[in-house]
Amino acid sequence: MNDILQLASTLIKAGWISLLDYLAAHVLLCLVPAFFIAGAMSALIPREAVTKYLGPRASKVVSYPAAALGGFVLAVCSCTILPLFAGIWKRGAGLGPAITFLFVGPAVNILAIAYTGAAIGMDIAIARIVLSIIFGIVIGLLMSVLFKDREAIIEQDAFSTEARVGPMIWLFFGLLVAVLIAGTLQVDLLTRTWFSVTVPLGLSPRLLATLGSLDLNLQGLVLILMLALIGLAAHAGLEDILERANGWTWATLALVIVTVLIAATSVQTAGSIVVGITGKLISITLLLAAITITARSLKREDLQVWLWETWRFARQIFPLLIVGVFVAGMVKVLIPEQWIRTLAGRNTLLANLTGVLFGVFMYFPTLVEVPIARMFLDLGMHRGPLLAYLLADPVLSVQSILVTSRILGRRRTALYVGLVTVFSTLAGWIFGLVLLATA
Amino acid sequence: MHIRILGPGCPNCKKVEALAREAISELGIEASFEKVTDMAEITKYPIMGTPGLLINGKVVSSGRIPSKAQIISWLTTAMSDEQ
Repeated sequence: MNDILQLASTLIKAGWISLLDYLAAHVLLCLVPAFFIAGAMSALIPREAVTKYLGPRASKVVSYPAAALGGFVLAVCSCTILPLFAGIWKRGAGLGPAITFLFVGPAVNILAIAYTGAAIGMDIAIARIVLSIIFGIVIGLLMSVLFKDREAIIEQDAFSTEARVGPMIWLFFGLLVAVLIAGTLQVDLLTRTWFSVTVPLGLSPRLLATLGSLDLNLQGLVLILMLALIGLAAHAGLEDILERANGWTWATLALVIVTVLIAATSVQTAGSIVVGITGKLISITLLLAAITITARSLKREDLQVWLWETWRFARQIFPLLIVGVFVAGMVKVLIPEQWIRTLAGRNTLLANLTGVLFGVFMYFPTLVEVPIARMFLDLGMHRGPLLAYLLADPVLSVQSILVTSRILGRRRTALYVGLVTVFSTLAGWIFGLVLLATA
Repeated sequence: MHIRILGPGCPNCKKVEALAREAISELGIEASFEKVTDMAEITKYPIMGTPGLLINGKVVSSGRIPSKAQIISWLTTAMSDEQ
C-alpha cells in the first residue's frame, strides 16, 4: 500500500515538474505569440492568395512550391487540409501538388515549429521545416509520376479568383513574427539585463519555502496565475467576439500583453525582489506598441476574426497540451532508459524507422508530439530518430490513413504511406549524419 | 428550404449552424437542416475549406464564418428562386 502511494506521489511530482518546464517563461514567450500568428494566418490570409497558383493550368515550377507554402500558411487548422487537398487534386493542379500540400500542412505549422524550437532546440525545428518542404515536394512528384491521373476536370475554375494581402496586413504579420523572434532568439543584446530595479518588498520566508517545495519561483507562480486569468477573461470576452467586443475582450488583451512582458523580464528573489529590464523586455514592449498602432488601421471585422481564430486555437489545443505535458512527465519515470537507448539511442536506419513507426501507431493531439519527443530525448533517444518521429507523427496516424484512403483510394494511399515512411526515415538518418559530421 | 452544413464538428461549423438557425428564425421561415460530418463525404462537394454552407443544394459560403446579415440575404435570394 505504502509503495503505491509512494509511486503515485513520485508520478504526480514528475508530471508537475514537467508542466512547470513547459509553462516556463521562455516557452510562453514563444507559444503565446505563435497562437496569435496562427490566428492571423487563418483569419487574414485569404485562401485565394495561395490557391491562385494551384489551378489546373499552373506549371509545375509554380504549383509545387505554392502547395508547400500553402501547407504552411493555410493548413493551420486541420479542417482546411482535407477539403483543400481534394480540391487541388480533382479540380486544380493535380495529384502531385495536392500530396505536397497534404504532407507539408500538418508537418510545418507555425505553432509546432515555434514550440519545437523552444522546447527541444532550433536545430530540430529548422530541420523539421526544411526537410518537410523538400520531401513534401519529392513525394508529390513521385506520386504524380507513378499515378498518371487523367486531366483534371475543369468544371468551374475555383482557382482563378485573385486575392491580395494588403501592405498593412504584411506589416502586422511582420510585427507579430518579430515578437516571436525577439522572445526566442538567444543573443546577448536581448538576453542581457540592461538595468535592474530593486523592489523594496521582501517575500516572506514562508512563501518562499512553499514555492520552493513546489519547485516554483515567484515569476513562475505569477505566470501561472496570469494564464488562469487569461483563460477566464477570454471565455467572457472572446466567445462572442465575432458579434461584438466587450469589456472582457480588452481585459483579455491587456492580460496577454502583461503576461508576455512579465515573461520577458528577469526576476530575482534572493532577499528583496530585483526586477531586471532585459533587452527582450525593451524590444517586445516597442513591438507591442507598434502592433497596437498598426491594428488601428486594419478593418474592425478582420481584427475580430483574428481574435476569434486565435482563441479557437488556444481553447482547442492548450487544455490537451497541459494534460499531454503532465502525462509525458509521469511516463518518463516509468520507461526504463535502457529500452529507449537500445531501440533508438544510435543513429541507425532501424532506429529511425522505429521512430517513424512509433509516430504512426501513436496518436497525439496537436503539439503534444513535442513534449513526447522531449521525453524521448531525455531518455536517451538520438536526435536523428527523434526528427524522424517528429516528421512522421503529425502526418501519419492510423486515423488519418483511414480517412485519406477513403478519399484517395487504397493503392494511392498505400504508396503515399510507404513513401512518407521511407522518406521520414531517411530524413532522420541524414540529419543524424549531418549532426555527427558537424559535431 | 433545405440547409446543409459541411464540417467535421469543429467550433466554426457549430458557429455557422447557430447563425443559420438564427437567420431562419428571424425570417420566420421553415427549413430542414442536414449536417455532413464525414470528411470523405465533405470532400465530394466543391468547397475548399470547412465549414461549408449550402442552401437548397447550392454552396453559398465555405472556409469562413459568414455574417448573419449575409446568410439572411442568401436565404432571401433562395426564397425568391423557389417561387
